Amino acid sequence: MRPIVWLASYPKSGNTWMRLLLANLDADRPVGINALRGLGGIASGRARFDDLLLFPSGLLTHAECDRCRPLIYREMARQGSALQALDESDEEDDPTRSIRFVKTHDAWTVTSLGEPLLGGRDAAAGAILIVRDPRAVLPSLASHNGRSIDDAIGFLGDPEAAFCGRTDRQPNQLRQQLPGWSGYHRGWLEQAEVPLHVVRYEDLHSDPAATLGEALAFAGITIDPVAIERAVRRTRFADVARQERESGFREASPRRRDRFFRRGLADGWRDELTIEQIRRVERDHGAMMARFGYELSASDGAREVDGRGDCAQAR
Amino acid sequence: MAAYLIAGLRVESDLALPGASAAGAAEAVAVTIRGGDVPDALDAPEARGPNWTIAGDRFLIAIPGIVRMLLSGGNEIVYALDPGIAARDAAVFVGGTGFGLLLHQRGQIVLHASAVRVGDSAVLFCGSSGAGKSTLAAALVNQGHELLADDFCAITLAPGRVPVVHPDGRQLKLWRHSIERLSLATRRAEPVRTEIEKYYVEPRAVATRPLPLTALYGLREARPPFVAGIEPLNLVDAATLVRHNAYRRAMVQRMGQADLYFDAAVTIARQAGLFHLTRDLGFAEMPAVIGWLEAHWRALGLTERAA
Repeated sequence: MRPIVWLASYPKSGNTWMRLLLANLDADRPVGINALRGLGGIASGRARFDDLLLFPSGLLTHAECDRCRPLIYREMARQGSALQALDESDEEDDPTRSIRFVKTHDAWTVTSLGEPLLGGRDAAAGAILIVRDPRAVLPSLASHNGRSIDDAIGFLGDPEAAFCGRTDRQPNQLRQQLPGWSGYHRGWLEQAEVPLHVVRYEDLHSDPAATLGEALAFAGITIDPVAIERAVRRTRFADVARQERESGFREASPRRRDRFFRRGLADGWRDELTIEQIRRVERDHGAMMARFGYELSASDGAREVDGRGDCAQAR
Repeated sequence: MAAYLIAGLRVESDLALPGASAAGAAEAVAVTIRGGDVPDALDAPEARGPNWTIAGDRFLIAIPGIVRMLLSGGNEIVYALDPGIAARDAAVFVGGTGFGLLLHQRGQIVLHASAVRVGDSAVLFCGSSGAGKSTLAAALVNQGHELLADDFCAITLAPGRVPVVHPDGRQLKLWRHSIERLSLATRRAEPVRTEIEKYYVEPRAVATRPLPLTALYGLREARPPFVAGIEPLNLVDAATLVRHNAYRRAMVQRMGQADLYFDAAVTIARQAGLFHLTRDLGFAEMPAVIGWLEAHWRALGLTERAA
């Protein structure tokens, strides 16, 4: 048994950064941006579905596919060690090896059979929800999708939105429902199946070592603070951005307009959004933003608070 | 009972298998496919996954909510449709997934690959689902090559001989987007499943006889660190490519065929040219990719060099 801990996040919220940090806890070698594959992959990966269930996910409707997905994650948890061979990862020295961290952008949803899509408590010991100020998500998402910021505002507000949701072709991953930025976070906060620990991108930015240490403690991993400091050093934004400049990033969207590691700022949105765009986001998501401690700015021009919101602790 | 010729075997089936080739009168029946009772579980299971169980020469697999199948002894598939499922919505799983696994029971080497005829040879394109196997085969068929296989290639090996590839059917399976981009709307036949926008497509030309395997390409998307182009593989990488593209490769070990595949991989790697074909997945690059391949085939001597 090697339980999953989900690294859940709305897209463009720092999930890759968190995975880089986790991968770089290993003493031996720095793990570059294009060597992240061994880390447990993404829950919506199509190959794992096809490999474990022995039939092509591409021949199912999205709903039929969702109905099968809990089987995969329970199986992953059940036979963790056997699957490591399939992942082709060499994790002997990995201090996080007792846990399988798996990235997901999937909303917390329930299938037509009434099961949690992600397999519930039979599959996962917990989830780390990485949250980023939606005003900062916007420019990054717009760049990722090759669309305008106004389009991205629409996407963040759309309860029917999804990644890989097309039906006229086979998307490279399984469909991931993204029922609006607020809806996405509400789903994860309100599910009662797996314990949740919230990591704010902004806290990862201002105090990466402490924030990572708390997340690891939540996952039941005790680790030398020296290893954490080393991981933080190995994943500084400037270094990660340099890696992308020099050799590209295999996980970057082909549609993107800009680099994947764009600016790495917590508050870069202030010079990228118009006042009207800020107003729209805050109008759409103000209540959920407040739950995470993001102060609304458009109405009174107030500064973002440094304090954590009421959801920022493990529960 | 309809009779089909799939992967070189005569298959008699009470379930219509769209896309499969009709069999001639001569071949002896090798595989029977019929509706019937399928058990919920097998006694004395040797291996199991979330939706499948192996016990001796029996293999039980469920496509949840659609169909359950019991494969026995490499010569029979019994299927049971789930409630409310039409036979035509299950046929692709019986004729594809079920038949592919049955070939493993027969000790047949099967690769997850599409194939076209080039000169008098089979050229294979392998990769996982979504790698672009069918689409590339369809584009090459548009260029005048005969289709040999859309999804899986059964390969026969004989000592000292070039490996031989058997056709898997006579139709392509393509998504609506690909059909539009490849201007194949007039050749579109019925959907693969009622609710899915993937269709059988009638190719312009089909190779109906087995052909010698002379080139095999592992398809990769041009994403860092992979750079676009055709790159030959050394013997070790070539053998790895073959084993990694075994149809449902996790089953090779489970079904006791690791040695068989290892030997086959080495034989194929020695007898045929193995390459990585790395390219952008979009249709914009397709003419260029076909240009690389045709130049490569001339260089390999599969087609005549331009005067």
